[in-house]
Amino acid sequence: MSGPRSLSLPRGARVRAGPGGRPLAVDGQPVAHVRESWLVEDRWWTSQPLRRRYWELISERGRDIVVFHDLIDGRWFRQR
Amino acid sequence: MVACVLIPRFELVVAAGGHEALAGRPVAIAPHRGGGQGAIGEASGAAQAFGVRSGMALGEALARCPDLELLPDDPMAVAAAWELTLRTLEGIGAGVEPQRPGLACFTLDGLRSLHGGGDELVLAAARRALDRPARLAAAPTRFCALAAASTSRPRRTPIIRGDARAHLAPLPVALLRSRERTAPLVATLERLGIATLGELAAMARGSLSDRFGPPGVEAHGLACGEDDPPRPRRVEMPLRESLELPEAAGGPALERALDVLIDRLLARPERRGRTLRAATLAARLIDGGSWSCNVTFREALGGRERMRLALAPRLQGLPSPARVLALAAERFGPPTGEQRALLDQTGEQRRAALREAIAQMRSAAGADAALRVHCLQLDSRVPERRVMLTPFES
Repeated sequence: MSGPRSLSLPRGARVRAGPGGRPLAVDGQPVAHVRESWLVEDRWWTSQPLRRRYWELISERGRDIVVFHDLIDGRWFRQR
Repeated sequence: MVACVLIPRFELVVAAGGHEALAGRPVAIAPHRGGGQGAIGEASGAAQAFGVRSGMALGEALARCPDLELLPDDPMAVAAAWELTLRTLEGIGAGVEPQRPGLACFTLDGLRSLHGGGDELVLAAARRALDRPARLAAAPTRFCALAAASTSRPRRTPIIRGDARAHLAPLPVALLRSRERTAPLVATLERLGIATLGELAAMARGSLSDRFGPPGVEAHGLACGEDDPPRPRRVEMPLRESLELPEAAGGPALERALDVLIDRLLARPERRGRTLRAATLAARLIDGGSWSCNVTFREALGGRERMRLALAPRLQGLPSPARVLALAAERFGPPTGEQRALLDQTGEQRRAALREAIAQMRSAAGADAALRVHCLQLDSRVPERRVMLTPFES
């Protein structure tokens, strides 16, 4: 191990979103239910601000998935 | 003097339900738990007349005797009948050493005055008490007594006095099959042309040690009339619990039944707080016959969880669904079990042991084998800022 490393790092995800940015499918798995959604805005006072819209979802296979939409660069990520 | 009690085909007689059921019928136990799936156990005299032998492959036995009837193995019934037999012998005052179901020995010293003063009278008392066909003999050693009982005619009670070596000399080396350690030597000895125990005794012990190792030395000692004295078993009240299962149980239901049996066994007042060193798990099977498994614990146990860990995997060996599950204590340990140190290691000793363990793990699995989780901001809304992995520095 070269040095300290963070846990729960975001991993890129393929998300098909519907109206209002609501995810309809994550990595090809259809979403059955949205449990919760929240907005995280942090470090807006620095040159590397962070703006994420988090979604906690239940897939049709019953898996609990947490994804977020990076509102700065527009990409989607999974996170645990 | 040592007396030997030999009840031929004990397991087969019990499985068949009595001697009368075997009369004139070619019957054998199959499959036998000790001989693998394809081997037969004890065979009746009628089956032996066709050339069927214990340990023979089932296919070969059926080829020799197409009318051979097969009986399922019933270790539970055998154990119960054998326990009854041993208690009968102990009832005449004998300190009995059981060797296998159907074979036991005891020393005659100390019994003569109880039964009228002679070896013959003690053996007669044993025969009366057994009240079943059995071969009895007495000789200076256990092996010699077994040899005399094996080769005697029914209803005769030979008593060998004097030199055991002289009595053993004309007998075949096949008698060494009665001992687990010397049994594998028999085929080789016969191939080498050593047919009798006398020929074996005439050989140099060093040569046998070179060729066969410790079993060769033991075989030579037996042929020369040397043997250990009987080691009588400790007589204890049997501690056994059984549970009738409502239906053909398996998997979790069987494990639950095992839990109940362990709890019941540990709660028995006769245990008197003692730990268990060995136990027997047994089952009566739904399709007839029974199954049993002896489990010797690595250390004496008195707790339910560890006992369950040791016993539960054995349930996988059940050949078919069980109708009755039973658990019996075989040997006891000390009342408190092994005392473990609670605070005997100082902090520095424990840290040194941990450092050594980490070093060994890293040498085996690489630098990432031991890492430490550092909590940074556990309440952060951004998950990757909550915890971090760092190298473990002990």
